[in-house]
Amino acid sequence: MNGHVKSMRFQQFMEPATTLLSLLLVMAVDSSRAAAANRNQQCVNSLQRTLKLARLVQKESVDLIRTYKASQGVKAELLCEASFKYIPNINISGLESWERLLSIYAHLWDFFPHFKRVYEQQVDLQPPASPLLAELSRSGGGRRNLASLISSFYQSLFPNLPVPEPAGGPTALPSPQNVFHQKVYGCEVLRTYKDLVSNVCRELKTLKSKVCQRRKRVNPLLPEAGRTPRVMNNRMTDFER
Amino acid sequence: MYVVPQKMNCFLVLLILLTLFLIAFSLSSEDDHHLVIVPQSPNLEIGTNFTATCVILNSTEVSADDLYWKLSENIVPKEQYTKINKTALNVTVLVTGEKLEWLYCLCKRDVGSLEKGTFIHGIALKKGYRPGKPENLSCMAVQEKHFISNAFRCQWDAVGQQSRDVSTLYQLNVDVTKIRAYNVTTREKHAQVDFVDSFPNHVILEVWVEAHNKLGTIHSEHLYKYADSFVKTNPPSNVQVTSEKSFTTSLLINWTHPIANVFLKLMYQIRYCQNGSQNWTYVPRDDTARDIQSFRLQNLNPYTVYVVQVCCKNHKKGYGYWSDWSTNATKRTPEDIPNKPDLWRIIAEGDGINQVQFICKGPLTNERITRFNIKVQDQRDKLKNGSLAPESIPINRSDSGPFTVLKQIRLADRESVKVFVTAVNSVGISAEESLVITEKACEPPPVRELRVRPDGGRLRLDWKPPHGTAVSEYVVEWISGDNTDWQRESRGTRHATIKGPLEKFVCYNVSVYPIYSGRVGKPATRAAYLEQGAPLEAPDVRLKGKPGHNEAELVWMEVPQTRLRGFITNYTVFYKGGTETREITVPADSTSCTLKSLRRNTKYDTWIQASTINGSTNSSKHSFTTLIYAPGEMEGIVVGVSFGFLFLIIVTMLFCVYKKDVIKENIWPRIPNPLESTIGNWSPDYPLKVETPKDNGLCGVSLLDVEVGDGKCMFEEDKASLALKKDKYLSEEHSSGIGGSSCMSSPRQSVSDSDEGGDMADTTASTVQYSSVVASNGYKGQTPNTQPKQAVFSRSESTQPLLDSEENPDTLLQECSRQSQRVPRGPRPTHTQRNGDIMEQQEELEPLDFCSLEEDCEQVTPTDSSYMPQLVGYRPQ
Repeated sequence: MNGHVKSMRFQQFMEPATTLLSLLLVMAVDSSRAAAANRNQQCVNSLQRTLKLARLVQKESVDLIRTYKASQGVKAELLCEASFKYIPNINISGLESWERLLSIYAHLWDFFPHFKRVYEQQVDLQPPASPLLAELSRSGGGRRNLASLISSFYQSLFPNLPVPEPAGGPTALPSPQNVFHQKVYGCEVLRTYKDLVSNVCRELKTLKSKVCQRRKRVNPLLPEAGRTPRVMNNRMTDFER
Repeated sequence: MYVVPQKMNCFLVLLILLTLFLIAFSLSSEDDHHLVIVPQSPNLEIGTNFTATCVILNSTEVSADDLYWKLSENIVPKEQYTKINKTALNVTVLVTGEKLEWLYCLCKRDVGSLEKGTFIHGIALKKGYRPGKPENLSCMAVQEKHFISNAFRCQWDAVGQQSRDVSTLYQLNVDVTKIRAYNVTTREKHAQVDFVDSFPNHVILEVWVEAHNKLGTIHSEHLYKYADSFVKTNPPSNVQVTSEKSFTTSLLINWTHPIANVFLKLMYQIRYCQNGSQNWTYVPRDDTARDIQSFRLQNLNPYTVYVVQVCCKNHKKGYGYWSDWSTNATKRTPEDIPNKPDLWRIIAEGDGINQVQFICKGPLTNERITRFNIKVQDQRDKLKNGSLAPESIPINRSDSGPFTVLKQIRLADRESVKVFVTAVNSVGISAEESLVITEKACEPPPVRELRVRPDGGRLRLDWKPPHGTAVSEYVVEWISGDNTDWQRESRGTRHATIKGPLEKFVCYNVSVYPIYSGRVGKPATRAAYLEQGAPLEAPDVRLKGKPGHNEAELVWMEVPQTRLRGFITNYTVFYKGGTETREITVPADSTSCTLKSLRRNTKYDTWIQASTINGSTNSSKHSFTTLIYAPGEMEGIVVGVSFGFLFLIIVTMLFCVYKKDVIKENIWPRIPNPLESTIGNWSPDYPLKVETPKDNGLCGVSLLDVEVGDGKCMFEEDKASLALKKDKYLSEEHSSGIGGSSCMSSPRQSVSDSDEGGDMADTTASTVQYSSVVASNGYKGQTPNTQPKQAVFSRSESTQPLLDSEENPDTLLQECSRQSQRVPRGPRPTHTQRNGDIMEQQEELEPLDFCSLEEDCEQVTPTDSSYMPQLVGYRPQ
């Protein structure tokens, strides 16, 4: 009798418990889905914002090379056809998306000293009110902001990992040059930079269609063991032109 | 080469020495003071309590009990002190006012003149307020050339007060997330930070303001937005308007983005108006809230110049600021054929024959109508204008009235015509409009339940359609004075708003005409005001006829419609008589009023107050005076009084006739014969026969009344006669006391005076005593006989007054005795007090003349008075 009563009471207890557990399970699944959707939306937004800025930087790079050519005189086309060996690599490397993001970030970082050198050279070559100087100066902001957004995007994808730091060490800059070489160098830097930004835009478009949606199932960007990205400072105040 | 370093070393050594000296001096000077206040130089919040501690240093001469505090010039009450220990004393003061104050700690004990200055210490209390939290922080970055300026301007509202001593600084912080932070400090309520290199497009900015002063710090709300949210771009550039001939009511607008899309995407807003007007029409924002560069305006008027402006902002809601409006872009729409003429009529009704004017709206300036073609045809197919061809009415462009009069005809009540009108311009001929004026008797029914009321600055009409007939459209007409205007409403309309310009305080007769396929139906008409006000004037009130004694009728004329400014709700007639003002309220349709219950012979000021629902106005005052008597009232009084008087006379006469004997008895009473009277006490030995005055030779002798106490007035020779007076015996004096009131009784004739005056007053009231005292010693002035004859005293107990004629036939003697009536020399208490009035009358009536002896003797006829006072005495019996 007692055992039967206990069984009955257990059954009576189990029914609402089962219902409650089911409800909690549904809620957990739903909330995880909502959280995933929310994360995905954040990913999309972040990437879109980055892409917008990349397009802006790209436009600025196009305007910059145009302004540069206009300010160098009639032989500008000829100057820009010449090649220069100290130009940083603009190929976005890596098989995985996270590697490619780090590559973009590093290339952007690589251009800062070159732009600084070009600016210094053009200050000597251009009048103070030259629009080229203003544009060169202004382009630093876009580049810095783009690098920052890529860093933020990377951090949003891997919130538990430190943000990668660009490769350290001195950047190889050309030795003192004559005016012709300076102009060739400047054009080459700007043209290469324009190509880099163009590649970045293309890469970000690709990432947009892959990264945010794929992360739902499996995170393809997770770095493999032993390939932890290098750590950099959050704030990019140390960036130089 | 070594000189300069040596000099520099010397200088450094001197500098160090000087510093050490100053420090030592300051320390030693500190040591000299034995009182120190903690804290030093505090900044205090106004409204709070501040506690300071005074500490005694290096002195055992004084203790905390010897200390006291002063705040500025006032000693702080001891209740605010707290003794910490023997050498420390606290004080707590309430911080009030913004002005800087000094708080002193002093010693009240005399510690010697040398050290007195060391037992004092003071601190300055700087007062202020905690900074308020900055509010309404907003920031903006404007477009510069083809990019966003890196100048980032912010402004905010300061909250709270500031004092002079504790001022607030604001620090604007802009954090370009994870990239760079900017801040700038200012005392103003706005600041600007300049981004390095360029504006951080597409990056999140965190902006806040920090207000801080010596009393605290507080942050504003943090703005955490994308940088695009703060951008205000230039207005769209190169705005162009294109007109296309095939689209006469449309214009195409094109513009250029003020900034590249890579900076931010924009949405636009477009507004337009007719040239010269500032009444802008805004294109619905949903139509232009896109990243567009062109837009087509539609439903415009043909051949009209339009002004177009465009502005833009970030395309996201809540992001960015609207740019300024672009510069004007103007264009005229192409010309089109005229619209169908808006035909209407004005009918001036006469006796059976009406004057009918056919009018047409416009011509509108944008239609450029050159002429109207009109054809009038009666319903019996008879052409009124005598020709099948339409009559052409050229348009005079200088005549810029609200409508054009096309034609005027005379139309009988029983006639019906149909009018056809077309408008012509350079492009073509409009569609034909027709109107049918039907016979009065056959007019289709009007609309029902028409109501007109002001609504939102316009007149709103509501009506119900006529029963059973198909209305094709309605014409709403409104007339004010000579101004007529109208508008057309579709057949399904039940509510309409008058679109034309209406003026406030003007009465409009609003009519709704149902139109039955061109046939004009009967109108329903209501009067209405767009807005009512107090009348400009009230009617002048005046009297109708003459005012009555208690009422008056006032009349007034209605105020002209243009001066009313509203529907009169009522008139209030005020009338003021004296200080009392009364009023009567009469309906709005009244033009007269009767004032009632007025006071007689009173001046009334009256005026009238005309009232509308929105105010009242008083007229000027009119005055009138009510009559004393009502018409006929005076005559009635006179007649009444006359009749009354006549009645009284008649009654009197009848009374006299019927009561003749009584009257005679009263007026001429029968005097009893004294001979028949019973005398109480007679002296049988004395001969009753008294000699007549004539016989005694007393005629013409003046008798002087001699009073008993008036000795000084007497002659010396008369002193001998005092004995007589003492015996109340006065020669030649006759007393006739008739109570105290008889006019025939002279007080001086009373001999029973003097000592018995009081008794007399008692007795004479009830009993009349007739007495006659005859003295034998002759008249005054003569020495009385040494042995006077025995006086005879007779008294009658009769109450009957004496008649002179009966009493004393020798009236001659009485008349002569007038001379004996002397001027009274003094009061006679017995009579004057009682009969003072009578005395005066007598004295007035009886002139104190002395007639000569001869004259008196000749006066033998009796006096006028038939009843004379008895002077001489009784006839001897």
